[in-house]
Amino acid sequence: MEDQEILTKFRDPASRNVAFNQLVRKYQRKVYWHVRKMVINHDDADDLTQDVFIKVWNHLENFRQDASLYTWIYRIATNECLSLLKSKRRKFLLPLTDLTAELTANLEADESLAGDEIELKLQKAILRLPDKQRLVFNLRYYDEMPYEQMAEVTGTSVGALKASYHHAAKKIEAMINAD
Amino acid sequence: MNTPFSLDEHRRQPRPTLAPPPDRYFEQLPMRVMQRVTAAPTTVPAWGWLAALSVPLRTALASVLVLGGFAASFLVSSPNGSVLPAPGAATLAQIPREELVEYLLATDQRVTLTDLAELPGTASNAPAGTYLQTSPDELQDLLDQQPTANEYL
Repeated sequence: MEDQEILTKFRDPASRNVAFNQLVRKYQRKVYWHVRKMVINHDDADDLTQDVFIKVWNHLENFRQDASLYTWIYRIATNECLSLLKSKRRKFLLPLTDLTAELTANLEADESLAGDEIELKLQKAILRLPDKQRLVFNLRYYDEMPYEQMAEVTGTSVGALKASYHHAAKKIEAMINAD
Repeated sequence: MNTPFSLDEHRRQPRPTLAPPPDRYFEQLPMRVMQRVTAAPTTVPAWGWLAALSVPLRTALASVLVLGGFAASFLVSSPNGSVLPAPGAATLAQIPREELVEYLLATDQRVTLTDLAELPGTASNAPAGTYLQTSPDELQDLLDQQPTANEYL
C-alpha cells in the first residue's frame, strides 16, 4: 500500500486500524534497525520502536505532508533515540564514557559479532562517537541515506552533515588504527 | 606491517552485525502496537489540567494554596483581628461585687475582710515598702500579738 493510500484510509475512522496496521508492517524493520543501531540492546530497541509507532498514531492525523511519511517517521524515531540516551545519562548520572562502556558491553555480549574482529572494532569505534555524530554516521554509512533526506530527518544543513560524517569517518579510522 | 584501516576499503554491511530480534518478532509487533493504540482511552481526572502545568508553576501554585490556607484559618479563628478575653474572666466580671463578697464570707474559704481590703494607691507590682508606712518596732509588736503556731495544734 502506498503512503498516500495509507494516509487517506487513516483519516477514515472505518479503515483507520487497517491503514495503521499496514503502516506498521511497512516501516517496522527500518524503524527497529534504526533505533537498534543506536541503543544496541534488543529490549530497548523494542520499547523504542513501539513508542515511535504510538507517537505516529497520535500525530498522523495532523501530518501535513511537508516531508515524506518515511522521513517523518525516521525523524520521530531519531528524536526518541536521542531522548532515551539523554535520559539514561541524566538518570544514572553517567558521564559519556560510562554509557559508551554500557553500550560496548551490550555489543560484546552480542554473539553475532564473535569471530569478526575488525567488525567488532568498527562497532566499538562507532559507539565512541557522540550520539548525534553516531546517528549521522549510521544514516549515511549503513542506510546510505541521501544528505538531503538526512537534513530533513535531523533538522541540520547538508553542509553540516557532510562535515560531521567526514569527521566521524576520520575519527573511526584513527581509533581502529590506534588499537 | 599491517595495512591501515580505511572505511572506504572495508566491506560495507547493510547494517551492524547485531543479533537478529527473536523469532516472529516482526510478525507480532504490529499486533502489539495495535493493542496499545486501540486500548480504551484513559479518563482524564478533573485535576488532569495540573499535569499540563510546568513543574515550577505547580510548585508556586502549591505554595500559594498552603499560605492561603494559613491566612484563611487565621482570619476565621480571630474575627476583627482582636484577641478574645478568657472565658473565665468574662464570666467573673458579670457577677456583682456584693454577691462575690457574700459568697466568700459565707463559705469556708479562709478569706478575711483584710484580704478583700483595697489599698488605695497601690499597684499590683509595687513593693510593699511604698505603702506600708510603719516602723520596724511597730511591725514587731503586731507580730507578737499574733497567736503562735502551737495554738493551732
